[in-house]
Amino acid sequence: MPKLKSIEELQKLRGQLQKDIKARTEMNTTVTVGMGTCGISAGAREVMHAILAELETRGIDAHVTTVGCIGMCSKEPLVDIQQGDEPRITYGNVTPAMVPRMIEEHLIQGNVVEEWVVGRVTGQEG
Amino acid sequence: MTEQYRADVLICTCPACTKAGAPEMQHALKAEVERRGLAGEVRLVETGSRGFCSMGPVVIIRPEGILYCQVHDVDVPELVEETLVKGRIVERLTYKEPETHKAIPHYDEIPFYDKQMRVVTRNCGLINPQNIEEYIAVGGYQALGKVLTSMAPKEIIEEVKKSGLRGRGGAGFPTGRKWEFTRNAPGDVKYLVANGDEGDPGAFMDRSLMEGDPHAILEGMTIGAYAMGAHKGYLYVRDEYPLALRNLNIAMEQAREYGLLGQGILGSSFDFDVQIVRGAGAFVCGEETALLASVEGHAGNPRPRPPYPAQSGLWGKPTNINNVKTWANIPVVISRGADWFNQIGTETSKGTMIFSLVGKVNNTGLVEVPMGITLRELVFDVGGGMRDGKQFKAVQTGGPSGGCIPEELLDLPVDYEHLKEAGSIMGSGGMIVMDENACMVDIARYFLDFLKDESCGKCTPCREGIRQMLSILTRITEGQGEMGDLQVLETLAPVVKEASLCGLGQTAPNPVLSTLRYFRDEYVTHIVDHKCPAGVCKELIEYYVIEDLCTGCGVCRRKCPQEAISGEKKEVHVIDPALCIKCGVCFDVCKFDAVGVR
Amino acid sequence: MATLIIDRQEVHAEEGQTILEVAKENGIEIPTLCYHPLLEPYGACRLCVVEIVAGGRLGLQTACTYPIEEGLEVLTRSPSVIEARKVVLGLLLSRTPNVELIQDLAREYGITEPPFPTDTPDERCILCGHCVRTCHELVKAYVLNFSERGIERRVGPPFLEKTRDCIGCGACTIMCPTGAIETVLEKEAVYKAKPLGPTSAIWVPSMQAIPNVPVIDTDVCIRFRQNDRTEGEIVDACGACQMVCEADAINFDQQDEILELDVGTVIVATGFEMWDPAQLSQYSYGKSPNIITGLEFERLSNAGGITAGEILTAEEKKPEAVAIIHCVGSRDHNAHEYCSRFCCMYSLKQAHLVRDKTDAQVYEFYMDMRTFGSGYEEFYERVQKEEGILMVRGRGAEVSVLEPQNGQKYGKLRVKGEDADLGRPVRVDVDMVVLSSAIEAPHDADEIASMFGLSRKPDGFFAEAHPKMRPVETNTDGVFLAGVTQGPKDVPDTVAHAGAAASMALALMDKGEVTISPQTAVVDEILCAGCKTCISLCPYTAISFIEEIDEKGVARVNEALCKGCGTCAAACPSGAITARHFTDQQILAQIEGLFRVPA
Repeated sequence: MPKLKSIEELQKLRGQLQKDIKARTEMNTTVTVGMGTCGISAGAREVMHAILAELETRGIDAHVTTVGCIGMCSKEPLVDIQQGDEPRITYGNVTPAMVPRMIEEHLIQGNVVEEWVVGRVTGQEG
Repeated sequence: MTEQYRADVLICTCPACTKAGAPEMQHALKAEVERRGLAGEVRLVETGSRGFCSMGPVVIIRPEGILYCQVHDVDVPELVEETLVKGRIVERLTYKEPETHKAIPHYDEIPFYDKQMRVVTRNCGLINPQNIEEYIAVGGYQALGKVLTSMAPKEIIEEVKKSGLRGRGGAGFPTGRKWEFTRNAPGDVKYLVANGDEGDPGAFMDRSLMEGDPHAILEGMTIGAYAMGAHKGYLYVRDEYPLALRNLNIAMEQAREYGLLGQGILGSSFDFDVQIVRGAGAFVCGEETALLASVEGHAGNPRPRPPYPAQSGLWGKPTNINNVKTWANIPVVISRGADWFNQIGTETSKGTMIFSLVGKVNNTGLVEVPMGITLRELVFDVGGGMRDGKQFKAVQTGGPSGGCIPEELLDLPVDYEHLKEAGSIMGSGGMIVMDENACMVDIARYFLDFLKDESCGKCTPCREGIRQMLSILTRITEGQGEMGDLQVLETLAPVVKEASLCGLGQTAPNPVLSTLRYFRDEYVTHIVDHKCPAGVCKELIEYYVIEDLCTGCGVCRRKCPQEAISGEKKEVHVIDPALCIKCGVCFDVCKFDAVGVR
Repeated sequence: MATLIIDRQEVHAEEGQTILEVAKENGIEIPTLCYHPLLEPYGACRLCVVEIVAGGRLGLQTACTYPIEEGLEVLTRSPSVIEARKVVLGLLLSRTPNVELIQDLAREYGITEPPFPTDTPDERCILCGHCVRTCHELVKAYVLNFSERGIERRVGPPFLEKTRDCIGCGACTIMCPTGAIETVLEKEAVYKAKPLGPTSAIWVPSMQAIPNVPVIDTDVCIRFRQNDRTEGEIVDACGACQMVCEADAINFDQQDEILELDVGTVIVATGFEMWDPAQLSQYSYGKSPNIITGLEFERLSNAGGITAGEILTAEEKKPEAVAIIHCVGSRDHNAHEYCSRFCCMYSLKQAHLVRDKTDAQVYEFYMDMRTFGSGYEEFYERVQKEEGILMVRGRGAEVSVLEPQNGQKYGKLRVKGEDADLGRPVRVDVDMVVLSSAIEAPHDADEIASMFGLSRKPDGFFAEAHPKMRPVETNTDGVFLAGVTQGPKDVPDTVAHAGAAASMALALMDKGEVTISPQTAVVDEILCAGCKTCISLCPYTAISFIEEIDEKGVARVNEALCKGCGTCAAACPSGAITARHFTDQQILAQIEGLFRVPA
């Protein structure tokens, strides 16, 4: 690693490194993938990988977490998106192919993809 | 597929968790993660301590923010399956509220952390201390960059003064003022010293900081060097801290590699480098002038002040010494600003303080709280209340230099002035909570015994005075005390306090004086009644069998090393006081609580 | 310049002074233990604490270390100061209950008994650090230091083991205020602490010394020894004498001056030395400080000596019995066979002095009484009749040192001898023995002899030209002898002898020329091969080698020195030397003449 010669270089390095520890920093956006047994068997892991890849490609900062079965097993794989104070949106029957559009429209443009929504939580639970 | 980590599993590698089995657990975790094919999405990170030491080995999972306690290698398969794969909480590994046994899986909901404000220990337990890039990623060295490019030395000192930061080593001298003295002292050669000697028995705040976030200290020192015009710094670390030494060395090497230490820092013309000097088993070397003597290669004997180190320190040159916690505060003061900093805390004591909260509370560990929090909050909220439902008796603050604070002062706000008024000191942050089973006379004797071995012996009041006070206290705990002894203590202690050469002697009488002030009746009971109410002083206690509870099982009789217990099977047993050596084994083994102490 | 207030009075001070220094200058007493004006302030005993009530670091501070500041207000006897000093002294007294210095200081503060239990009654060290700081700052030997910590702190060399780095200077012993250090001298130690000799490296030899100024013995002085020992690395050790000399009269850089004079007349007056009685072990000299030589007795009894003239034993008490033994090392086949001539008279005088100054019984052991001079015999009779002096005609044969009794430091001395008059062995136990020991030629007599061509007699003193007729001349013309250099003699005889030497020297110088015998040798410089055989043979060092004559160098005879013995003429391999008036022809002519005698 060559020496950092200025504060700009330090800041640039920091920018690059921030991605590496994003799991530990506070983020506005959390994408949660249902990973119960039902979810896994429905292909949730592939969906999660697709989401991770898409976020990486588009350089979007978001947490990706997993959660156990929430009950709507028939609609698995389920993906929740929580952006700041916005209501939490749950997408159902998600496939890896749906991921690019979901990310593009919901996360980047801020438009919920209504046709895939299976649930909404408006109350904020911190 | 490239690694796209979605989760970081933070594993504490501090010596306490290590002793409890963290390395084996980590090994199992690595194997299991690999086996389950999660190696590309779940990252295992070794960190320093997050402070919840009674719960080790500790694992924190981000971004979920789950804290698992006492995780051992046998727990790993379940942890990986349930939490890492399926995202479910493993309830048996979570923290449980002591009274209700309610599970609290998320660490920001755990009361232990709830009232804390982790400023200085912001990164401890969060980043890998052996990787400078993680420190940089969380914003490290930004403050240094700001200082080098946009702040003049005088500005920096003004900012530190405005923040109200006071030395965290114990004396609490205003840091900005100290820096100003050093800056204004004549001469071109100036030195900085970081005091990492942490000698208080049971204290480990500095250790955790040096282990968990060494760069914070280095950054603080570099900023200070720039402000005061120093180009060489010494980090004095006690040799009993091998992990701290290792992590500091790695940090220094990496900082040099990245141009953040050494020649031409961040491309500027400013040079500053640091050298580690290891202590060698002397509590007195935590005293600043003794520390300087030790760095110079002499025996750690303190020197009279004035002249102060800011005028004449290492090799006669102006030297600024601060505790490692103080240095770690500096980057925060610079990056978040003095105005932010001095909103925290009380009128006279700004910012946060790190305490090692230990003793008879449920949650023991390292806590960082804003100054001004009350003792009650510390003990009962952060500490989770008294263990085993015992009664609170006192809290000892400040280590061997401090005093004991009784129940009636539980609502005392914790800051420099209030603690001093109460007869104790803030010290380095030791906080030992005691219950009804603590004998206050024995506590005073314990600390004097420690200090007797650690005194350098140079000045008469400390060397001879501690020896005499100790001999009086020992006699009292052995039932040989006389009422006149209290007068002698009250004559001797103030002189030792006023006339000793250094802080060790000057604060040595504090445990005696504070226990005499608040627990005088306990002394009297020892002397006049030859009894130890807490059941501690061996010569004054008696073990006896509580007849109503004794089932005659005979376990105590069999375990007694002196064969002092006699009794037939299924009949009430009896302890012969003449043979009893008060080892307490019977007390420990009786399943029916049928052995009492009086 | 700064103004401060001590005990409510305004005083002025210079920058860099401490409170203690300013107090002293103004007559304010502050007790100290670890302070010493020659050493850096230490601040350890805490006895000198004073209370700072304004203008500085408030509370009790040590006066010896605290630098003065403008506006400082100090109280030197406030209640908290007195209390602190009391406690400190009480603690020290409990540590060292039998040290007089601490007892005295404690008494001043009302403490007569150790206030704390004391389990170290023999402890004398108060850890004031004088010895350590002296060894480091002054002597610069860096041998002593503190070991251990807390109550175990003690002073000593590294690992508390003997070390060769200790130069045995004794400075630590002298600086210790409580007598806690003993300097144990081994054979190799340079400084031999004689009881009647110098007590420090810089001293005035006696009150009658000329000039009456101190002199530094550079073999003993720490500064010179350190310089030599470290080959010039440590050049500024100690210097305490210079630090305290108010007249600034000490100059360590003085060098010996070597003067070269051309003279024709020399008077050798090199005197004598005392023979060392330790060479005859039966006298036990050196085994007890109460066995002294006659010269040491003179020093003892001198009004300018260490006891101001009183006759005291090493325990500083008047002796009850004294033995004076004649002929120690004189008239002795095992030492010197000659008689040292003047000891009988001084021994009688010393016996008389002992009786004059003490009530001691004096035993005088003698073989013969050599009191031959004017008034001497009368003196002997008087002393014989004096009460308390017992004359024992018989050699004092042996002195032994007995075991000390009854808390004494040194044992009594047992003298065994013979009373030849009674024909019985004699044994007396005394407190002091004076050995009238022999005198002898100085140890460097041979060097002087070869310098001036002198011979030495069997008794070691220089040979006069003729034992009866020419007592002050030597075989070398122009070189005279004066005083004991020619043989033992007392003061009147020395004065006479020296006067004679002076007159003869003056006469010679006055004449301006010497009459010499014409029978001298002469070197033919053409024949001389420059082999130098004659030079080494000449007993009168009369021949010198002259360089660069005819490119080879030749021998030349100094006619003033030549005695005409003819040795060189006989030895010369080249036949270049002729003995004038003893030429080969003259000798042959004499032989021829002998053979012409008629039948």
